[in-house]
Amino acid sequence: MSSKEIIRVENLTVAFGSFKAVDGISFDVKRGEIFGFLGANGAGKTTTIRTICGLLNPSSGKVFVDGKDVSSDTTALKPHIGYMSQKFTLYKDLTIKENMEFAGALYNMKAADIKKKIKVLADFIKLEFDENSIVADLPGGVKQMVSLCATLLHEPDLVFLDEPTAGVSPQTRADFWGLIKDLSGRGTTVFVTTHYMDEASYCGRIVLMSAGKIVAVGTPEELVENNFPKPFAELVFKDARAVEKIKTEINASVFARAENYGAGLRAEIIDNGRFKIFSADNKNIFEIKTSAPTLEDVFLKLVS
Amino acid sequence: MKQFLTNVYAVALKEYKHIVRDPFTLAVALVMPLVFVFCFGFIIDLDYKHIKITVRDNDQSAESRRFLYMLSAGGYFDLTPVHSPLAADEDLYKNKFPGLMIIQKNFGKNIRAGDVQNPARVQLMADGADNARAGIILNYMTAVSQEAEKIFGSSPRFNADMVRTRFLFNPELNNRWFIVPALSTIIIALLSILLTALTVAKEWENGSMELLLSTPVRPYEIVAGKLAPYFGLSFFNILLIFILAVLVFKIPFNGSFILYLSACVIFIIGALALGILISIITRSQTAAIQFAFAIGMLPGFVFSGFIFPIENMPAFFRGLTFIFPQRWFLTISRSLFLSDASFSALAVPFICLTIFSCVMVLLSVKKFKKDVEP
Amino acid sequence: MNNVTVTAVVKHMKKTPALSGVSMTFGGGVINGIVGPNGAGKTTLLRCMANLLTPESGTIAFETGGQKLTPAQAKKFIAYFPQEPSLYPDLSCAEHMQFFRALYSLNAADFKKRSDGLFAATGMGRFRARKAGALSGGMYKKLGLMCVLLNNPEFLFLDEPTIGVDPVSRRELWELIHRFSAGGMNVVMSTSYMDEALRCGRVFVLNSGRLIAAGAPHKIMEDFKLKKFEDIFLK
Repeated sequence: MSSKEIIRVENLTVAFGSFKAVDGISFDVKRGEIFGFLGANGAGKTTTIRTICGLLNPSSGKVFVDGKDVSSDTTALKPHIGYMSQKFTLYKDLTIKENMEFAGALYNMKAADIKKKIKVLADFIKLEFDENSIVADLPGGVKQMVSLCATLLHEPDLVFLDEPTAGVSPQTRADFWGLIKDLSGRGTTVFVTTHYMDEASYCGRIVLMSAGKIVAVGTPEELVENNFPKPFAELVFKDARAVEKIKTEINASVFARAENYGAGLRAEIIDNGRFKIFSADNKNIFEIKTSAPTLEDVFLKLVS
Repeated sequence: MKQFLTNVYAVALKEYKHIVRDPFTLAVALVMPLVFVFCFGFIIDLDYKHIKITVRDNDQSAESRRFLYMLSAGGYFDLTPVHSPLAADEDLYKNKFPGLMIIQKNFGKNIRAGDVQNPARVQLMADGADNARAGIILNYMTAVSQEAEKIFGSSPRFNADMVRTRFLFNPELNNRWFIVPALSTIIIALLSILLTALTVAKEWENGSMELLLSTPVRPYEIVAGKLAPYFGLSFFNILLIFILAVLVFKIPFNGSFILYLSACVIFIIGALALGILISIITRSQTAAIQFAFAIGMLPGFVFSGFIFPIENMPAFFRGLTFIFPQRWFLTISRSLFLSDASFSALAVPFICLTIFSCVMVLLSVKKFKKDVEP
Repeated sequence: MNNVTVTAVVKHMKKTPALSGVSMTFGGGVINGIVGPNGAGKTTLLRCMANLLTPESGTIAFETGGQKLTPAQAKKFIAYFPQEPSLYPDLSCAEHMQFFRALYSLNAADFKKRSDGLFAATGMGRFRARKAGALSGGMYKKLGLMCVLLNNPEFLFLDEPTIGVDPVSRRELWELIHRFSAGGMNVVMSTSYMDEALRCGRVFVLNSGRLIAAGAPHKIMEDFKLKKFEDIFLK
């Protein structure tokens, strides 16, 4: 593998009948980066991954992986790619080891190599369970990590993780992203989808998708800064009953996107001057804190 | 009461929608009985017609020829006369023919004499390797001998008195007559148990049970509501089999139809409740289906009297048949088809069936979990 | 005012302790959030409150309209929506509403008014005929909410309503829940997302079956000198 871009997507459209799941998107993924693919459910994330992996044919446009067109022949690429699908990919009634051996066998790995690799990967995810444990007995987060190991067994250069943290506890999500970072540090390109916007900060670069189209590309910081140069205001009310009244009073020229937040409101300030007057008028009702805009705010702004 | 009915109706309606939207369940529920009835009805018939029997008539009298004519007339036996005893013996051993009959000398003379001490004798040898067929031969012989008794006014005896009663009401010895009424028992039991066994387990696996339990609906309302549409389905099936039996297989129905329907109702309720009970206990669809097959199949075939006559079972197993509703319904079904049995004659099976159904319904309501405790 | 008072509740699931003596009062007016990692006892607590589990010791008392009620008596005032998907994939939205209407024995007029109101409030009116299995994560949760809200409950218990829901629907759900809470309903919901803790008016932080902090989220952050809310589990 040589060139700087490992994936190049040009004007990709994937249609199912008249429905365009992916609608003319273009982007590049650089070798060794963590590339985040973010969007709501049904935005076209999984369809894009499947097309890049050669599991779906593009309706139009081109996809190159390592310089090769995936619609021509993907057999040579397969050994270099690892794909962890959104649906659980381990056999629940088999042990960790048996699942790994099966995954390895699919890539024609030698039994001795598989054995060695299992040890390495168990260390990598700091597996606290015996490799002979039945998968069904493992906690959800551990299953997900074992599933990742099965994807990494054949040492792919490019790994696709489709919503790997869906339905996993926050602690495990953090651990999981730790693993992804390590992986990227070792030179593996990680292409990951998620609909948790807070996870995007772990990514080098992200693409925001909505309804089959790309709405934004960049580093997480760039996206926040470009869309919200100023911080948000959080109004903390002394009496929660006043919230609804103030909410209806809030002037659209002062605030945008006012939302209930805790016992108060949170909003983007559009006009600083007017905001000062507004808050001075109401200083007995609420107190003001600054609140950093998040990628979720960016996403909501861009898709609505 | 109104509350009860609306809740039951709500659950039943929802369940009904699940059924009609799941083509697989519907197919199993409607096609399986037909397949069963046609397979059993036709295959059994084809197997046991034109059984080849060699005959050696040592008497050669008018009576012996008349007797042989009666045997062959039914179409069940193809008779091949042999003239040397040795050849006949050889044929039997070489498995050429499943049966050999020898009419003894003085057959005609003894009939005419009518001496009980000195009866007319026919010797029958049947190939026991295929005992089902041998049984059929034996049974058919018994019937013919009875027929002959009437005609000859005395007794060409066979040592088959014990089977005589069993076929008393099936004079043509039509196996179909025997099998098809019994089939409804097997099918209804299996189907009812199978279908309902899945329903409660499905709610648990779907997670919807937790939501249902958090509403004011009561457990017995859920059970009743789930039973209702399947009751309709099973009842439809039983009628379907009934119609097939009478119209396609031309089986006469001699008993009281009202009595038959009441037995069906009690039996179906019991079987459905048993299914629900399985579902309540297992909480998983896979476990429920395995359970249901075991409980629906085995007693249906083995302990109901469908294949093995109950009176020939060892005492322990004979006792065991008492707890299976299939046994009782089978008795009722056969009696009502083939004889004009009165309610008093069927009181015992009716009472046993009712007890079973009540116990099942009570158990399933009692076992139904009102909370999500593990 | 609607209140739920939990006093020294202990509950084991199989042999492992799920709640080791928690006490708290969920008042109305603001959204009550139960926050904690997986296995903290959030679901067990909600299930106990919804009368689906019985505590081994301790009590749960309800108060509504000046009346004191036990969990069993309060059942008709409670709406509970579990975390696991619990609707019927083969039934449509309208059919779900009809089914729950019967379970709550509503008359036709009440049903029409409430059902139309809910369809309008959630923006689900367009999807009346769509089957639950074909709904997105967010719409699915909304439908679940609509079903249990048909009963006009005084208490609304939601177990992780925002799990597996995309950002847009998540924001909509929050708005919806805020509206019910402002309307006087006592809302208690659990979440394992720490960023959502700040969206609640009052939070109850559970860890390993114990209550480790309670109060307004900002107050907790000040008291514990937290930079990020999730750091509370490190203290």
